[in-house]
Amino acid sequence: MKKALILTMVVILVAGLFAGCAAPAAPAAPAETNQEGAKKVGLVISTLNNPFFVTLKEGAEAKAKELGMDLVVLDSQNDPAKEMANVEDLITKSVAVILINPTDSDAVGNAVKAANSKNIPVITLDRGANAGDVVAHIASDNVAGGKMAGEFIIKQLEGKGKVVELEGIAGTSAARDRGKGFNEAIQGAGIEVVAKQTADFDRTKGLSVMENILQAQPEINAVFAHNDEMALGALQAIKASGRSIMVVGFDATDDAVKAVESGEMAATVAQQPAMIGSLGVENAAKVIKGESIEKSIPVDLKLVTK
Amino acid sequence: MSNIIIQMRGITKIFPGVKALDSVNLNIYKGKIMALLGENGAGKSTLMKILTGVYEKTSGEIQLEGKAVSFSNTRESQGIGIAIIHQELNLIPHLSIGENIFLGREPVNRLRKIDWQKLYKDAGTIMKRLGIAESPETQVSELSIGKQQMVEIAKALSLDAQVIIMDEPTGALTEKETESLFRVIRELKEEGRSIVYISHRLKEIFEICDDVTVLRDGQFIGEYPVGDLDEDKVIELMVGRKLSEQFPRISCRPGKAALEVRNLNSPLVKEISFEVKQGEIVGIAGLMGSGRTELARTLYGIYGKSSGEILIDGKPVDIKSPGQAIWNGLVYVSEDRKANGVVLGLSIKENVSLSVLQRLSGLLGKIDMRKEAAMAEDAIRSMSIRTSGPMQQVKNLSGGNQQKVSLSKSLAAKPKVLILDEPTRGVDVGAKKEIYDIMNQFKKEGMSIIMISSEMPEILGMSDRILVMHEGRIAGIIDYQDADQEKLMRLAIGKKEVAL
Amino acid sequence: MMMTIKGKLIRNKSLFVLILFSLVIAVLNPRFLTVNNILNVLRQTSINSIIAAGMTFVILTGGIDLSVGSILAVTGAVAASMIAGGANLFASVMTALAIGAVIGAFNGIVISKGKIQPFIATLATMTLLRGYAMVFTDGKPVSTGSHEVAGVFSSIGAGYFLGVPIPIYVMAAVFALAYYILRHTRTGRYVYSLGCNEEATVYSGINADRVKIFVYTVSGFLSALAGIIITARLSSAQPQAGSGYELDAIAAVVLGGTSLSGGVGSIFGTIIGALIIGVLNNALNLMDVSSYYQLLLKGLVILVAVLLDRKQKSSK
Ligand SMILES: Nc1ncnc2c1ncn2[C@@H]1O[C@H](COP(=O)(O)OP(=O)(O)OP(=O)(O)O)[C@@H](O)[C@H]1O
Ligand SMILES: [Mg+2]
Repeated sequence: MKKALILTMVVILVAGLFAGCAAPAAPAAPAETNQEGAKKVGLVISTLNNPFFVTLKEGAEAKAKELGMDLVVLDSQNDPAKEMANVEDLITKSVAVILINPTDSDAVGNAVKAANSKNIPVITLDRGANAGDVVAHIASDNVAGGKMAGEFIIKQLEGKGKVVELEGIAGTSAARDRGKGFNEAIQGAGIEVVAKQTADFDRTKGLSVMENILQAQPEINAVFAHNDEMALGALQAIKASGRSIMVVGFDATDDAVKAVESGEMAATVAQQPAMIGSLGVENAAKVIKGESIEKSIPVDLKLVTK
Repeated sequence: MSNIIIQMRGITKIFPGVKALDSVNLNIYKGKIMALLGENGAGKSTLMKILTGVYEKTSGEIQLEGKAVSFSNTRESQGIGIAIIHQELNLIPHLSIGENIFLGREPVNRLRKIDWQKLYKDAGTIMKRLGIAESPETQVSELSIGKQQMVEIAKALSLDAQVIIMDEPTGALTEKETESLFRVIRELKEEGRSIVYISHRLKEIFEICDDVTVLRDGQFIGEYPVGDLDEDKVIELMVGRKLSEQFPRISCRPGKAALEVRNLNSPLVKEISFEVKQGEIVGIAGLMGSGRTELARTLYGIYGKSSGEILIDGKPVDIKSPGQAIWNGLVYVSEDRKANGVVLGLSIKENVSLSVLQRLSGLLGKIDMRKEAAMAEDAIRSMSIRTSGPMQQVKNLSGGNQQKVSLSKSLAAKPKVLILDEPTRGVDVGAKKEIYDIMNQFKKEGMSIIMISSEMPEILGMSDRILVMHEGRIAGIIDYQDADQEKLMRLAIGKKEVAL
Repeated sequence: MMMTIKGKLIRNKSLFVLILFSLVIAVLNPRFLTVNNILNVLRQTSINSIIAAGMTFVILTGGIDLSVGSILAVTGAVAASMIAGGANLFASVMTALAIGAVIGAFNGIVISKGKIQPFIATLATMTLLRGYAMVFTDGKPVSTGSHEVAGVFSSIGAGYFLGVPIPIYVMAAVFALAYYILRHTRTGRYVYSLGCNEEATVYSGINADRVKIFVYTVSGFLSALAGIIITARLSSAQPQAGSGYELDAIAAVVLGGTSLSGGVGSIFGTIIGALIIGVLNNALNLMDVSSYYQLLLKGLVILVAVLLDRKQKSSK
């Protein structure tokens, strides 16, 4: 008896929750049946757990609103299997164009092929796809960004000094490209990389890894972190140690920009996630109209300093 | 006395802190049944575990038909034809009877797929031989302990072994099951197989065994043909002294009713009404499955009741959990000590105090370690628990000594009403006597005791009144002066008493 | 004295692993055994070990708590936003701790009264709370701000007392208390008993449900404590904070010799286990081991330590 009561309550609660969540989406449902459905664009985003992609999504949504387009956003939660399922969902919804921000360049291949087989054009955002056909790839140039950071550090240190490189998650393309650009830039200059450690793009790890490196290295002049989260973690470690070390991050998140403005961080390389999102939707609109677009669309980076 | 299959010579086993066996000998003869006797903790199970490779011996020699052998696990001893039925059940509850019998040796077809048909057919054959009606596809967890014991026996038989060791096989069996087992044992003997038979029921020894080996305190006392002995002599050899009368009944001067049960009903028991007075022992007899344990556990708050009243010392009590039962002065000692009587992984000390930590702890629940240790020492002394000390883990005690720990744990709660469910199962003659003495002592102090037992002599010898159950109901309540075995049996199997 | 140390070593292989391991690192890198670095390792270990202390209670009863990382994220976010919103320090910390304890108690109630397996129940709360942390923070870090209270708050994680980082004191207090509860109180005894044999524990008149609710409450409370320290340390709460921490905590508990099936183990072992993981992370950074090899080495060390412990136990 008691069990049944509890069960009923749970069912009502869950149903209520779904009803609540589904409400805003409801008016969109009939659109599938009229011709307007052809204008629908799908956006599959790798994760919404990261402010960067949240901003990207917001840029896309703003653009879609401006152009009066219908945008469906699905979150893959960093899981390629979920990503595949999301793309399949969009195919059954028969959207006109799919924008994918892949969780992984290799893993996304089959999802792209699935869309190809239904002749739905695909545009990749931020990360590329290593298989399948995409009409365009829109991304900021991570190699160029890494180079930008490297050159900035060389200039600030006047061509000489010891740096630490905090790497992103081993094996990701962002970590690879940013590191590559950075190392290309400092090659030949009098800059020595005294430690090169991964902190998994995570602030807490950035803190503890930097603490450990501070123990090992008596002399450090600058830190280049592959993203701002790690840079901000490293900053806490440096502050606690009382040493003065220049920190350069990547991504220009709100927190990082604040830190730059207050002079705690030296610089951060700004990607423009909102612009990636909005360019994605803009190009999707062009594809729907039948206009041709560039195969590779680079998005500008800029260095944020005080 | 030729034809020795297995000869164990000078076997010594030292556990950290305990010398369990000290230069012990054992001969197993072809086509004969050897009884292995001794008090709780004498080392019987240990000796058999050494023979089957469960334990490593510290020193000594094992010969198989004159050649020295040694096994490092049961698989090896099985390989040359030795099977063992352990004292403790080792079945997997959620598998079927058949799966348990053939665990690890399932018949397979050419594609290595289990041949279920053959498995269940073979299992059925063995079960039928043992006189068990249950389908081999029944889950073991649904069986009574007695039936589970029969499955263990079936498992050993299925090995088709030359030597079968039975460590207290009848502890949990009904009389009928015991009879079927003895029939099978005689058949096995006729086929020329050898058996080592361990039991605390001396009658059984005289019924089926050919020879007797006696151990005392890890020492080898001697080997005798059964014809040279009688029960008293065996006891003397085991205990090292003569025992006085088995059932030292003391007269009962019952006081007020301590426990009253009025029209208790539950899905398991029906229309139960009885009372137990202070200073009285009420025995509960009945067949396996007659609802005796269920009644006890309903009183103890494990199973729910649907109607009826329970009064302790004249006051109605509402018992919904064992905690409340203990608080109200009612304690239950389980028949299944391994499952719920003791916590095997804890020490003797921790077990004895478990139910009464509330009383032993002060501010913020801090346990008074000194009081706790004293309580454990006390239990070890008064129950003569054979152990290396209060810190010994209960799982390393012999079966009978575990039973004593279970009893001490309940007595620590100082109950007004004590329910004992098969209190002497697996307990040796000496210790049985000790338990009876303890029961009598508490009876004198005014405790009310309910004793569930399948051993008729015990029921008849100890109870002041006997309550017989049949199919969840009380079939009758008899004063001990009026009771005899036949009357009890008649009630137990549901025959109405025609005339007194 | 010598004998007891030797006895301890023989009984507790993980302590042996820790010492041996530290010696090897000390030889390879002279900076390892400096006072500064030792304090550094202890401070870094404090987060994982505080969570692992709670996890020890849970695992000793034969349960598991996967929701610790998510509780950490939620309570951290609550504390950070309260501080940022100008709430008083005491109120913020207490609220976060209370939320942790309540979530833990909820886990315990679902597991005991609802008879749901701990793995499933806490898997559900883990996911649910991670989602809640995302909703609450809108997926962005929550900064505590830069006013005075925020400064005091940050000293919980970043401050020093007598030259020793404050989280180390917190960790020491947690372990002393956990040791006391497990070894000297009724409740601690019930935890072990429940882990050994639930049925017999119930038959002994103990309210097993209450013990279960207690251990999950402890785990939730300590996760919240860890969440406060981490948030204070960074002056900001991350919505993703603590993901994967349940595994580090379980690893620490198991490395410390506690059996996953319950009933056997000690809080002393857990601190050793947490230190092994902490020292390992520190050493890999100190020696600038490439990130590709780090995971490989970590996995290997855990495997070897657990195997050693296993061998030890079965030969007994
Ligand atoms: N694994 C072990 N570790 C330590 N001591 C043990 C272990 N197993 C048995 N013992 C000790 O060895 C002695 C003999 O135990 P054993 O189980 O052989 O007795 P038993 O004769 O079978 O008794 P029972 O009739 O009660 O079953 C006991 O004192 C017991 O405490
Ligand atoms: Mg035995």
